[in-house]
Amino acid sequence: MSFLIDCPNCGSRSVYEFRFGGEFRERPSGPVSQHDWAEYLHMRKNEAGEHKEWWYHLMGCRSWFFAIRDTRTNVVKETRIPSL
Amino acid sequence: MSTTRLPAHPAQVIDHDKTVTFSFAGETITAQAGDTIASALYAAGTRIFSRSFKYHRPRGLLCAAGNCPNCLMNVDGTPSVRTCLQPVRQGMRVQPQNVWPSLKQDVLSIIDKFDWLLPVGFYYKTFIRPRFVWPLAEKFLRRAAGLGQINTQAKPKGGYDHQYRHTDVAVVGGGPAGLTAAHEAALQGSQVTLIDDQPELGGHLRFQTTTYDNIGEYNGLVGYELARTLRERVAAHPNIAVVSSATVFGGYEGGLLGVMQAKRLIHLRTKRLIIATGSHEFPAVFQNNDLPGVMLGSGVQRLLHLYGVKPGTRTVVISHDDSGLRLAAELLNAGVRVAAVVDSRFRLPKDSAPAKQLLDNGVEFLSSYSIQEARGKNRVDGALVVPLDAQRRPFPKASRFIPCDLICLSTDRAPAGALVAQSGGELGYDETLGKMIPQQLPPQIFCAGDVTGINHGPIVLRQGRLAGLQAAHSLQGSDTASHDSQIHTLQQELKLREQAYRRQFEPYPQLSHVWEKKKQFVCVCEDVSHKDLAQGVAEGFDEVETLKRYSTFSMGPCQGRMCATSSLRICAKYAGARLAAARTTTARPPIKPVPLGVLAGRNYQPEKHTPLHHRHIVLGAQMMLLSNWKRPYAYTTPAEEYRAVRERVGIIDVSTLGKLEVKGKDAAQLLDKVYTHTFSSLRVGRIRYGVMCDDSGIIVDDGTVSRLADDHFFLTTTTGNIEFVEQWLKWWTAGTDLCAHVTNVTGGLAAMNIAGPQARQVLSRITDVDLSSDAFPYMACIQTEVAGVSARLLRIGFVGETGWEVHVPAECGELVWDALLAAGQEFDIAPFGVEAQRILRLEKKHLIVGQDTDALSNPLEADLEWVVKFNKDDFIGKQALQAVQERGLRQKLVGFRLRDSGVAEGGQAVVLNGKPAGRVASARFSPSAGLCVGLAWVPIELANQAGPFQIRINGELAQADIVNEAFYDPQGERVRA
Repeated sequence: MSFLIDCPNCGSRSVYEFRFGGEFRERPSGPVSQHDWAEYLHMRKNEAGEHKEWWYHLMGCRSWFFAIRDTRTNVVKETRIPSL
Repeated sequence: MSTTRLPAHPAQVIDHDKTVTFSFAGETITAQAGDTIASALYAAGTRIFSRSFKYHRPRGLLCAAGNCPNCLMNVDGTPSVRTCLQPVRQGMRVQPQNVWPSLKQDVLSIIDKFDWLLPVGFYYKTFIRPRFVWPLAEKFLRRAAGLGQINTQAKPKGGYDHQYRHTDVAVVGGGPAGLTAAHEAALQGSQVTLIDDQPELGGHLRFQTTTYDNIGEYNGLVGYELARTLRERVAAHPNIAVVSSATVFGGYEGGLLGVMQAKRLIHLRTKRLIIATGSHEFPAVFQNNDLPGVMLGSGVQRLLHLYGVKPGTRTVVISHDDSGLRLAAELLNAGVRVAAVVDSRFRLPKDSAPAKQLLDNGVEFLSSYSIQEARGKNRVDGALVVPLDAQRRPFPKASRFIPCDLICLSTDRAPAGALVAQSGGELGYDETLGKMIPQQLPPQIFCAGDVTGINHGPIVLRQGRLAGLQAAHSLQGSDTASHDSQIHTLQQELKLREQAYRRQFEPYPQLSHVWEKKKQFVCVCEDVSHKDLAQGVAEGFDEVETLKRYSTFSMGPCQGRMCATSSLRICAKYAGARLAAARTTTARPPIKPVPLGVLAGRNYQPEKHTPLHHRHIVLGAQMMLLSNWKRPYAYTTPAEEYRAVRERVGIIDVSTLGKLEVKGKDAAQLLDKVYTHTFSSLRVGRIRYGVMCDDSGIIVDDGTVSRLADDHFFLTTTTGNIEFVEQWLKWWTAGTDLCAHVTNVTGGLAAMNIAGPQARQVLSRITDVDLSSDAFPYMACIQTEVAGVSARLLRIGFVGETGWEVHVPAECGELVWDALLAAGQEFDIAPFGVEAQRILRLEKKHLIVGQDTDALSNPLEADLEWVVKFNKDDFIGKQALQAVQERGLRQKLVGFRLRDSGVAEGGQAVVLNGKPAGRVASARFSPSAGLCVGLAWVPIELANQAGPFQIRINGELAQADIVNEAFYDPQGERVRA
């Protein structure tokens, strides 16, 4: 694993500067069934293809951002600071 | 039988006037300075360099280029050193490996006679019954097989290092193509890094004595002169950084190359990659092709030209193109008798310069011939050559024996394409050239030279130029017409030349049947023969990847350099598959062996020092490492320090606490979300204890939250957990409309906790703040000055006495510490360490996240339900904790006291009715209780009944009682005093 990530604040850096925050999941708002909560907590899509993920620039600006990464090739297509 | 050295020559790398001596298997060998171990041994007459992996057959120098396994030896205790690359050093000790008692008489060579016992895949089909045979056989096989032995007693030598480099264009390979490519790219303005595995640039040109024509400006130069010219041109260009004696062992994503240079690992990032790794010769497959005295042509040239060693006295050259004829001419010039040139082509180009020279000297030419067998015992004493018919099939009845002591194989070259495949390119089999060549390349990768399958000077130099131009051009972005036309012209010219090359190219014919009598090796590393592969295919392993796993070809030290092409051809032939459709085996990194020390790099362990570190040292504290922080365990004894805090006053360095500032108009909202407690209701100037959970309701951290202003909070976290908490808070802020900023100020603040009945008197001497409980109650905070330094005072009670946490700028830490100690002198203040603090806090039943809790602990079961506010709208973990509440608690963290003497320890089993039912989290001897107290996880029924239980301490069962309130000052009067 040696790909590059284009941090929205700092620019293109080695993946070793970052912490992986897992794939993006929408947190259910308000009370939901235990089943739906367990889905949110434990289930991941883990697609072979493009993934929207959280990344944290640990050895840089120390910010969280989104990256669209192809899990088959590790090519990071897009990065952006999460907006509302 | 010493071989004499040739006279000095400009291509040589040895110093004729300087000698070096070293020992080899107990004998003293005299070498010339500049020799490799192998060249010196060869010059001294050694012909057997090793014994083979499986059959212990004698093996001699084969490639002399660091590819094949034949010259591996133990050098100064390091096993499997490629002696053909290792320069000689005065006094070094060289030992052959995998032999007993000596290279010449190896007892285990008897295996060669019992080869019928060891057919291909024998370990899958023999030694199965009777069962008791296998352990015995295994013992023997493990001893007999394998290469060098690792010295498990050896101490790591250190000196390893990592380096990170960046470049526009990386050129791998310093031969003619690489040198030309690097120079061209640099001329176009790119920053170029050229990596080569030899001590000197030039590639195979360094040992070529042929005069080149048709190479434009360099016409008429001899090979080694051309190498020097190209080398000087590259050295003179300021845009080129040369990394010599370095191996690119892997291509990784993101344009990263793994480069090993001696003990250094270079992480080289490149935007464009030019692969000019060349090719390597590999042996033809014929009977006894592993006999010492059978050498690859380029290995012979290295010996001749670089080290001035005469490789033999009478030689047969096996060839399929003009490079074989040139080799024969060079041997002739060096005074070696050429008994015959055996060439597989139908007709020889009798008008070429080397051919003329050979004919003039009466060398016998055998065209349309190939080699059937090398003959001799332990070394070559002749070659059996065989004529080929029109279908390129051998005609054994007409074979001929030619006596000789050296057989030079100039029969086949394989492009060194591993890096191409690793960098995202595709290799495919080219039927005209009979090689795996790069066929599909990603846009940032270019290939030039022999790696493209074409071994022809004029083409190689032009390919280099083109690659350099294209790489630099593609970086510049905007296309310029002059570049385009330059590239186009070169491409057209190359196309014509390559077509012409392909038209006249005749691959060396693979003999089309298995000779039954003697072994024909395909893989010299693992002793896999032609017959083994044929057998493997017959048994159903008819695909090259499965055949590889079954027969183990290409799995040895050369990683397929000597066998990949031959085995592919053999596999295709017996499986009846078309080669064009064949895939080669996957060449994963590392391409060449890399010592683990190089990958590990420098051996260091980071540790953090607090701003007060030197004070602790001066005070003679016993230091310990706690989550990377160096902390005082104790200054005197934990018991004395405990007494000081309970009876007088103590002070402890708590700079290691994680410290966060949370600011912004929505700061309180953020804290309400991440903590189970409510903080929007916290008044300014007050402190509240908080616990954080994740969404599955597990405790992730705890600490104090001080409100310094409406929009300003100051948080402390568990030591060692600050990195996580900072990320956690930022994560729950990211992508929301919360206006809250999280800043980690851990390193910026020194912090000390002064506690004890007399803490107030001490602190009031160096601050003007009213410290009385009316003005400054328990769980209050203030921003003020202490000893003239801006300070944050937090009145908390972790150790259970009146006390304040004093947070000051790190650079003032020592000043405030000194001031507190000075002010405390008359009260006999005592600095206390981590161990005393552990006892003090345990007596108050204050838990430590990560020690008393684990990845399954929730606050309800950890006896912290009072901090969980279900009346809040939402907080992280609410849904899960509600589920826990509905389901009911299963266990609980309770306080306990042992009935008798004895001290429990964290991790010991809680025993109920003779069965393990829980575990001790922490336990210490409590001076105030006079017995051992602690925290333990017990089943909920037991916790509810507050019944007695047992703890297994060193095999003995100790009686314990549950204690619901704190062991010390249960009403909390002392902290509020």
